Amino acid sequence: MTAVGTPAPRAARVTADTSAGRAVTWLAVRQVRRGATIVLVLVVGMSAMVATTYASTFTDTMDAAALAALAENPAIRTLFGQPVALDSAGGFTVWRTGTVLAVLVGVWALLTATRITRGAEDAGHWNLLLAGRIPLSTVVMRHATVLVAAVLLTGLATATALTTAGTPPVGAALHGASIALVGVFFAAAGVLAAQMLPNRAAASGATVALLSAGLLLRMIGDGVDALGWLRWLSPFGLAALSRPYHDNRIVPLVVLALAASILLTASTVATAHRDVQGSWLAPRTGRAPRLRLLGSIPAFALRRLLRPLAGWTAGVGAYYLLIGLLAVSMTTFLADNPRFADLAVQAGFAGLGSVEGYVATMFALLAIPAGTFTAVRIAATATAETDRQLTLIYAGPVTRLRLLAAETATTAAGTVALTTLAGLATWIGARSAGAPLKLDAALTGATNVLPIAALCLAAAIFALGWLPRAVALVGSLPAAGGFLLQVVADSTGAPHWVGTLSPFAHLAPVPEVAPDWTGTLGMLVTVAILTVTGAIGYQRRDLNT
Amino acid sequence: MDTFAIRTEGLTKRYGQLLALDTLDIAVPTGSVFGFLGPNGAGKSTTIRLLLGMARPSSGHARIFDTDARDVRSAHRSLAYVPADVALWPQLTGAETLELLGRTGPGVDRGYRNELVERFALDLSKPGRTYSTGNRQKVALVAAFATRAPLLVLDEPTSGLDPLMEREFQRAVAQARERGQTVFLSSHQLTEVESVCDRVAILRAGRLVEIADVADLRRLHRSQVEVTFAGTAPQLTDVPGVGAVERLGPARLRFTLTGPPAPVLRALATADVTALTVHEPTLEEIFLDYYDEVAR
Ligand SMILES: Nc1ncnc2c1ncn2[C@@H]1O[C@H](COP(=O)(O)OP(=O)(O)OP(=O)(O)O)[C@@H](O)[C@H]1O
Ligand SMILES: [Mg+2]
Repeated sequence: MTAVGTPAPRAARVTADTSAGRAVTWLAVRQVRRGATIVLVLVVGMSAMVATTYASTFTDTMDAAALAALAENPAIRTLFGQPVALDSAGGFTVWRTGTVLAVLVGVWALLTATRITRGAEDAGHWNLLLAGRIPLSTVVMRHATVLVAAVLLTGLATATALTTAGTPPVGAALHGASIALVGVFFAAAGVLAAQMLPNRAAASGATVALLSAGLLLRMIGDGVDALGWLRWLSPFGLAALSRPYHDNRIVPLVVLALAASILLTASTVATAHRDVQGSWLAPRTGRAPRLRLLGSIPAFALRRLLRPLAGWTAGVGAYYLLIGLLAVSMTTFLADNPRFADLAVQAGFAGLGSVEGYVATMFALLAIPAGTFTAVRIAATATAETDRQLTLIYAGPVTRLRLLAAETATTAAGTVALTTLAGLATWIGARSAGAPLKLDAALTGATNVLPIAALCLAAAIFALGWLPRAVALVGSLPAAGGFLLQVVADSTGAPHWVGTLSPFAHLAPVPEVAPDWTGTLGMLVTVAILTVTGAIGYQRRDLNT
Repeated sequence: MDTFAIRTEGLTKRYGQLLALDTLDIAVPTGSVFGFLGPNGAGKSTTIRLLLGMARPSSGHARIFDTDARDVRSAHRSLAYVPADVALWPQLTGAETLELLGRTGPGVDRGYRNELVERFALDLSKPGRTYSTGNRQKVALVAAFATRAPLLVLDEPTSGLDPLMEREFQRAVAQARERGQTVFLSSHQLTEVESVCDRVAILRAGRLVEIADVADLRRLHRSQVEVTFAGTAPQLTDVPGVGAVERLGPARLRFTLTGPPAPVLRALATADVTALTVHEPTLEEIFLDYYDEVAR
């Protein structure tokens, strides 16, 4: 009886374990496949497009002297990284799209990591799963593995596409690998933060801060020769140091891969030593009430805004302080290279010939964090609705329109504060470095991006009304999508009208020139239409509670 | 004030193909405790979402006292709500949550709120994310009862409470009724419904199948009657109220009886009845009877 009976259950258990594990993997795949596909298409598409159209757009307008000047310009180096091998399609593609795409992959990887691990766990989606045979560490690791596989696939596809486009395979492989490894690094960092911190927002925030710091180090390292070694401390810097299509160095990528595996190992250890829905840095279990800003709907919206705003302001402020500080190397460079302005214009970088032109180019980038900030805030409102925290507020004598107005007004005020402080930081940086930048020039330059941020806010409100599950994506589209579109349009020789679809085409480089009032008006009309349509949708639809 | 706290007319909600609520007509008298029952997925929470203006009816409409349910700004001045699945702001402590709800809600009686916090043994210093299911529900219950709003809409408010807290809840409902508040209570706890409700509506698959006073429900319902007799069996066909006649043996019959017993007693008088037992169903059995018909 026993001799016959025992083996059967054991065999059953083994198959059940592997199939349960596979079910977890499948769950993770389902949660990432849509985003992963979008990211893969964007990365591969942009790289391939820039590489294949390189010959027709650039070679004839640029000579060797212009290239050399470009390579030396600190503004250009800070913005896009040090140009190496601009005379080849591959090198140009890496320089023009490498940082942007690495940031894209990194941000997606980290947000997805915290969403599918901490987010799902906090929402209680894992409770049933973990009540079964599968331990927490297995669930976390299977999700991490799927995410890592997704970014590796993106890198592989990029390398293949670049090789197919006719660039040297070694450079293509190195560039694909560096994009993938940046993704792996931030996926691992996101998973680790999700194990250490008490909730998803904190984990995402901490990892975004890490990413910003990495980007900042890369920029300092590229912009200031003496600090070039800083790049060894940043995933983006390591990717740049591999110099695809030129030196093809593998050591920086090995360092990056090692760093990523250390993070992955650390998250395994961290997972093994904590409770489900618990964390290493546990929140306090009791505290005295803080009753400020609870008295009304707008006050409470402000209360929820303050902490994220402080984080965003710190990050963006540090970044623009650096940009201000770098303005001095800009001026020295101009004094040493009087011919640069001509060359830059010839290469399509009009305006980089002065401090105003330099900060104007940098301020255009501010539209991305400012716009994303508005999208993320409205997305937080949508999440509070689906997570049912807003249910008791909706049950109070408050119309949805008033709730939306409070969220919109506080978000808008927060965005104005964010851009103003960025302008102030730039001015402080430029002033302490001795560069001639006026305060009002810095402030008008920084606040000039507000129409694009308003577009993002309006797109997010539109999504809240009609596509409540995609608020963050739709909301960040005008800024992030518009920027990618502009990069593509600028570097592929696409038809003119393609470029004009991007809001950046309607943004004048302030403070170098006066604001583009027609463009601003056009954007504000779009803002009004999107906001009203979105508010109507939000008012009429069923709440997802 | 209006004589009805809630009134729905032809209230219907479709989710695509699914008819979640089918032309519901109910009227909840002011000052009553109204039980709202039905099996899982019957449409109770859907009804409540429509009453609160959180979902739009596909057709029909609902009124809260004398305002349209869609006009949430006035309608919600006179109601408080406890959802089936309470989620609190994770970063706010219990005290902060109560403060927020008190200041944005329809007004609050702070003295009574403090008393409720004591009675429900609620620790208000914890952040929302650290509360257990039952404690989250208690926070919402305290917030709702402390409003003194004339209408309390409670969706399975006691599903996570322990028996002691369940007793406190029933006390709080009784006190609310004494103050003249109307309570609309959706619940699966049949004993709770039996002890606090004056009137119940039973919903099944989106349809209203019964609406009656709890006292009448018993009367409306079937009793089981068993008779033993000597000689010929009593003639029970066509007797009003009698159904499901079963022969249990040569001298025993069982049947169900609905309504007044006089006609059947007359019919039995003609036979030589030696024993008679009447089994009155408990309210719980009555409810289960309604629920059970889903399967049929
Ligand atoms: N947002 C929605 N989309 C589609 N169907 C829904 C939605 N909300 C509810 N339903 C469906 O409507 C029906 C009624 O659901 P409802 O939540 O009202 O039931 P209930 O009576 O409250 O059940 P329970 O006792 O389990 O709480 C169910 O079949 C449910 O699946
Ligand atoms: Mg329900």
